[in-house]
Amino acid sequence: MAETTVDLDTTIDTLLERYLTLLDEYTRLRARLNGLQSGIYQNLARANFSAQRGVRYGQDHYDDRMQAARRVQITQSSPSAGHHVIFDMIKVTADESEENDDKNNTKKEDQQEEQDEKKSAAAATTKDDNNHDGSGKPSPPPKKRNNHDPLRWFGLLSPQPLRLAQAQAVQAVEEIIPRLASLSAAMADVELQVRRARKKRSKAEKVDHQKKLQQQEGHLHGNGGQEEVLPAH
Amino acid sequence: MTSQQDYKDRQFLAVIGDEDSVTGLLLAGIGHVTAPPDAQKNFLVVDNKTDNAAIESAFERFTTERKDIGIVLINQHIADRIRHRVDTYTAAFPTILEIPSKDHPYDPEKDSVLRRVRRLFGE
Repeated sequence: MAETTVDLDTTIDTLLERYLTLLDEYTRLRARLNGLQSGIYQNLARANFSAQRGVRYGQDHYDDRMQAARRVQITQSSPSAGHHVIFDMIKVTADESEENDDKNNTKKEDQQEEQDEKKSAAAATTKDDNNHDGSGKPSPPPKKRNNHDPLRWFGLLSPQPLRLAQAQAVQAVEEIIPRLASLSAAMADVELQVRRARKKRSKAEKVDHQKKLQQQEGHLHGNGGQEEVLPAH
Repeated sequence: MTSQQDYKDRQFLAVIGDEDSVTGLLLAGIGHVTAPPDAQKNFLVVDNKTDNAAIESAFERFTTERKDIGIVLINQHIADRIRHRVDTYTAAFPTILEIPSKDHPYDPEKDSVLRRVRRLFGE
C-alpha cells in the first residue's frame, strides 16, 4: 500500500526531529572537545615552559616501538537505533611476556606512577576515572596500566602539567572522539532516510496531482454533459 | 550498506596534526608503530616544512591503503591544505574528524558534518 503524502510528511518530521537531536549532541561534544584540547595545549605549553633548557615535550621523545593502548572498536548498531555503526574506544593491555618483564623491572615505579597519575587525573577531571570504571568492561589491574604509558617516553619524573594533559587527552579519546564518529555515522544514516522519504513524497505528490487533475477533468466533463443536456429540455 | 568485513580490523586511530596535537593524542595511548620492516606509524607530525604532497600521501595511506585505521583525526588547518582531497572523501571507513589546533580554533563552517547538515536543509 502506497504511503500518502501526509504519512510521508510525518515520517520526514520524525526523522528531522531525530536528526536535530543528534546534531545538538554533536555540537555539544564539539564544544567539549574544543575545551579539552585547549586544556591539553595549555598544559603542554606549561610543561615545555618549566622544562629544562632545550627540552621540549614533543616528537623527539616518541618511542619508535610504541603500541596502541587504546584502540577503536566498531560495531553495528541495533536495528531499532538505525543501520549505522558505533565507534568505541577500548583499552588493551600489554602482552603477557612484556608485562612480566616490565613488572619485574619497574614494579615500584609503576605503583608510584599509578598513584601520581590517579591524583592528576582526579585533579583534571573526576569524570576520567568514572569512565574507566563505567565502560562496562572490567578495569585492568593497576600494574598493567602503565606498561605502555607514553609518559615514560619523557622520563620517569614527568611534570604535573604533562600528566594533566594526558588525563585530558584520555578523556577526549575515550569519551568524545568515538562518540563524534558514531554521531557522524548516525546522522549520515538519517540523512539517507530523509532523502529517500522526500523522494517518495515527491512521487506521491505527483500521483496526487495527477489524480486531482483527472478528477477535475472528469468533473468538468460531467458538468459539460449536463450543460449540453439542459438546453434540450 | 556496510558489512562487518569493512570494519572488523579497523582498530587504530590515526592523526595528522601539528606537534602538540599529535603529542597530546599520543599521550592518551593511541600511537602505534607496526612491526618491522614496515614500521608504519599511525601519525604524521606536520610543521611548516612539511609539504602538501607528504600530507596528502599520509591521508591516502591512512584512508585507502591501510585497512586497520578506524578514525582519522586531522587538524582543520592542515585539512585546509588538502581540502580538495578531504572534501571528496566519501568512504564509510575510516571516519574523518577535523579537530582544532593550538593556533587555529575550530571553524564550524568547514566541518564536514555541519556542511552535510546545511545541504540537507537546502542551503
